[in-house]
Amino acid sequence: MSIRTEKTNMPFFMKDCALIARMAGIDTAINLREMRERLLHCPIESIFHHFCETVIRPTFDDPEYRNDFAIWAARDLQDRVLAEQLGIINPYSFHDLEEVRRCVIDIIDDRLSEVTYIPWVKMDNDFRFMRAVTVVFDAGKQFELPEDLVAALPEMSLSSVYYHYVEARRRTENHKDDFTVWLSGFGSGTEGLIEALGCIDFYFMSLPELKACLVRAVAQFKGEPAIG
Amino acid sequence: MRWRSLRGNRQLDKVLDYYEPVVGENAISQLRQLARDLQGARVVHVNSTRVGGGVAEILGWLVPLMEDLGLDTSWEIVEGAPEFYQITKSFLKALQGNKVPLTRRMLDTYEKTSEENAERLRPTLEDADFVFIHDPQPAALFDLCPNRKGIWVWRCHIDVSHPNRKYWTYLRSRVSQYHASIFSMPEFAQSLPHPQFLIAPSIDPLSQKNCELVDGEVSSTLMHLGIPSDLPILTQISRFDRFKDPVGVIEAFDLLGQSTPARLVLAGGGATDDPEGAAVLKEVRDAANGNGRIHILELPSDAHRTINALQRASTLVIQKSTKEGFGLTVTEALWKSKPVIGGNVGGIRQQVHNHHTGYLVNSPQGAALRVQELLRNPVRIRQIGERATKFVKENYLLNRHLREYLTLMLGVRRGLTNHLMTN
Repeated sequence: MSIRTEKTNMPFFMKDCALIARMAGIDTAINLREMRERLLHCPIESIFHHFCETVIRPTFDDPEYRNDFAIWAARDLQDRVLAEQLGIINPYSFHDLEEVRRCVIDIIDDRLSEVTYIPWVKMDNDFRFMRAVTVVFDAGKQFELPEDLVAALPEMSLSSVYYHYVEARRRTENHKDDFTVWLSGFGSGTEGLIEALGCIDFYFMSLPELKACLVRAVAQFKGEPAIG
Repeated sequence: MRWRSLRGNRQLDKVLDYYEPVVGENAISQLRQLARDLQGARVVHVNSTRVGGGVAEILGWLVPLMEDLGLDTSWEIVEGAPEFYQITKSFLKALQGNKVPLTRRMLDTYEKTSEENAERLRPTLEDADFVFIHDPQPAALFDLCPNRKGIWVWRCHIDVSHPNRKYWTYLRSRVSQYHASIFSMPEFAQSLPHPQFLIAPSIDPLSQKNCELVDGEVSSTLMHLGIPSDLPILTQISRFDRFKDPVGVIEAFDLLGQSTPARLVLAGGGATDDPEGAAVLKEVRDAANGNGRIHILELPSDAHRTINALQRASTLVIQKSTKEGFGLTVTEALWKSKPVIGGNVGGIRQQVHNHHTGYLVNSPQGAALRVQELLRNPVRIRQIGERATKFVKENYLLNRHLREYLTLMLGVRRGLTNHLMTN
């Protein structure tokens, strides 16, 4: 399927990113009540890190839960109910990260009102708040046409996919991915491709899964059958 | 020269070229792009030895790879009389939680030796754009280089989660003024008045300990060590230390009984200069009680290729620690596609994921259960092994480690905004 666009557009400059984690500089939480207190005051970058950057830092691809709070609840607090309640949170379905923070605190408040003791963890298993520094750099590639995007996706690094498709939602107007924003600049003709990119429920995927899903979703616009 | 021999007659210009077939083109390209903004930066690493120990191993590849990427990198060491090394050894032990006395005389020797080293190294260090001070031995150099112009980072490789307070208070006063510090795991980080970064350790896939071995090397190593290859081999590679729980491993092995025939290899460094190690080794021998299927090996510290062969000969690798730092022996085993049955502690928890890369266990019974389960299911062993290699490739090879160093350098230089763009 070829793509006929209404107008031309600026080239898409492919970026890549690298992340380094750092301690957030606040005290650790050794029980659920402390966790609630720390959450009230921790930097918003910590919320972002523990919910959204878990896929890009050195990590296991297929964890039981996608955010660190749910993992801590399951593994260290051994509170499976709380873990499930936290694990289902999709931060990208909220307007902003402050809403995510409030949601987590609400869930913890509910749980604290249900249990008959304050759930606590063994020494050394306390929750350590982190954040990260992300460095964005030129990937050394650019492309001009929507078809080029379709061809470029399979070759993109996972961190590049993360930057343009996931992280972009934090910095673009209307929380769109970079590909969609760029394709919109061509006017009519790219709606199908934009729709294919937009219908992926990405948060609960690992980056390799997301990349494979994106490649499959846009393959029809290359005029070739999807593979894999 | 290791780099020369790896690709036959093909001459490769850069050390990085040798890693590309292992880590992939994208990973190497990322490093090159990241390093563009650091071209010509003068980087100095300082530690206490060029040979032996994990830090020297890391710098052995980190320095040439940084040079390869266009950073003007050098490696300096602090030197001193035997007494200085005794004191820094005390520092290492104390910072890892052991009770070790600290006297004024020890501190005087440490400070005097640091001053002597500063005299020699001052021009290089004060002129550098980035100085990485590894571990406590060279930590005092910061104060002794008052005209420094670059960014100084203290890189702590050891587990300081429960340090001897007296030693930590002294060291803290030395490292607090650095621009940043690096710890291997969040659990190791201590409260300091500057940014604390986290860089997990990594393995070098082309090193003697991790490279592919030539045909027949694994079987010849087994033969040389007197280990028959008639049964599945379970291996724990660790120094003879109670925290590694070698006696617990033997207990688990004994629980397997007749229904799950196997051999157990416990291989660790020689215990000649370590009284506690010698005591543990004796306990291990007593626990083995002459069982011909338990092979207890004391290996020299440079037996990297032998360890490589033992890990490759193993059906399963065990690391049943009750306290652990990161656990690079786990990383090494996973890289070689071996499921790991590991203690539910420290960095093992980051690496061993139940049903995916192995099993976390909390008791000899738990270890025995998982060994039985896996030995009866070779398909599962293969599947876990494949996942394990992929997991290490994506997370714990040296390219990730180097990438994080470069990211840190760019981040610190630009003032640590959360999100920064390079040119």
